[in-house]
Amino acid sequence: MSSDRVTLEVSERGADQVGSRRVRRLRKEGLVPGVLYGKGHTRAIVVDERRLRSVLTGPSGLHAIVDVVIEGQTTPHHAVLKDFQRHPIRGTMTHVDFHEVRLDRPIQASVTVQFVGESPGAKQGGIVQQVSRDVQVEALPTGIPEHVELDISELEVGGTLRVEDLAAIDGVTFLDDPQTVLASCSIPRGITELEEEEAEAEAAEGVAEGAAAEPSDESADTGAE
Amino acid sequence: MLMPRKTKHRKQFRGRRAGISKGQLDVQYGDFGIKSIENGWVTNRQIEAARIAMTRKIRRGGKVWINLFPDKPFTKKPAETRMGSGKGSPEGWVAVVKPGRVMFELSGVSEPLAREALRLAAQKLPVKTRFVKREADLFEG
Repeated sequence: MSSDRVTLEVSERGADQVGSRRVRRLRKEGLVPGVLYGKGHTRAIVVDERRLRSVLTGPSGLHAIVDVVIEGQTTPHHAVLKDFQRHPIRGTMTHVDFHEVRLDRPIQASVTVQFVGESPGAKQGGIVQQVSRDVQVEALPTGIPEHVELDISELEVGGTLRVEDLAAIDGVTFLDDPQTVLASCSIPRGITELEEEEAEAEAAEGVAEGAAAEPSDESADTGAE
Repeated sequence: MLMPRKTKHRKQFRGRRAGISKGQLDVQYGDFGIKSIENGWVTNRQIEAARIAMTRKIRRGGKVWINLFPDKPFTKKPAETRMGSGKGSPEGWVAVVKPGRVMFELSGVSEPLAREALRLAAQKLPVKTRFVKREADLFEG
């Protein structure tokens, strides 16, 4: 559960720190622009990248309740990370969205599914495939789990596990269709088949080369005669 | 080998490769992948060589996704030909790759094995690459 709270000090962005060129300069200084919205108001903010990373890599991960404290104010804004953008090559954070929430009202969030246990189907040579990686849940902000666990110890070859197979968690409602498949176990297209195909292709190439080489040998023979 | 079944035109202009990739920026299907960090043309032979290198390493027990399709024909003039007399004849097929694109993905194997398999695959490719993991893991890990 994301009951642990972390405090994040941010500064409000004024009119001189809005716009792509100015924001690019902020990023060069190691700051991340963002936005804090909810409860009827929206504020453009800027936060130190190192501090942001340390907050988001805490024990609650991306589902932590962040107490956003704006510079010059003392009241914290309880918020959840709604969205973030990263640079496609450097991997640095380029923008964050914080959504201010009321701690006594349920919210909806996307939570990752993690497998626990060992599938007997995998031992028989099958591959356990995670079909859906996230489930939508509804819970109080402090009750959103970091991940939900799916027990695959009864997943046989050809079997599937669905949302309805998830263990119930107190205070958490799964919003997805109970029939949504989360995991399946199937026999892969064997490497032996691939190797056979490759061998066939090589053999076919060999035959073609041989066929091309043979007439020249014959012609050499006839030439010698 | 990968190539289009039919095309509207036999020959294409070479085009430009400026900027970063428009899509396929994250690992979407598997757990691990290799991301291109420069631009280039990847031929269908190179894609096939990379796939074979990867699948031979992981043997059974993994799943591979190829997020590239060589849909662009490239042409070549015969050797020792004088310049002029029009464009050369189609020689093969390439996929245009820009920085940031996750080209191959893997799942169902341990991270060390995935790293090694993708390293072998990357050796077959004409672009510099980086090993990447699923985004959520990066933050939770």
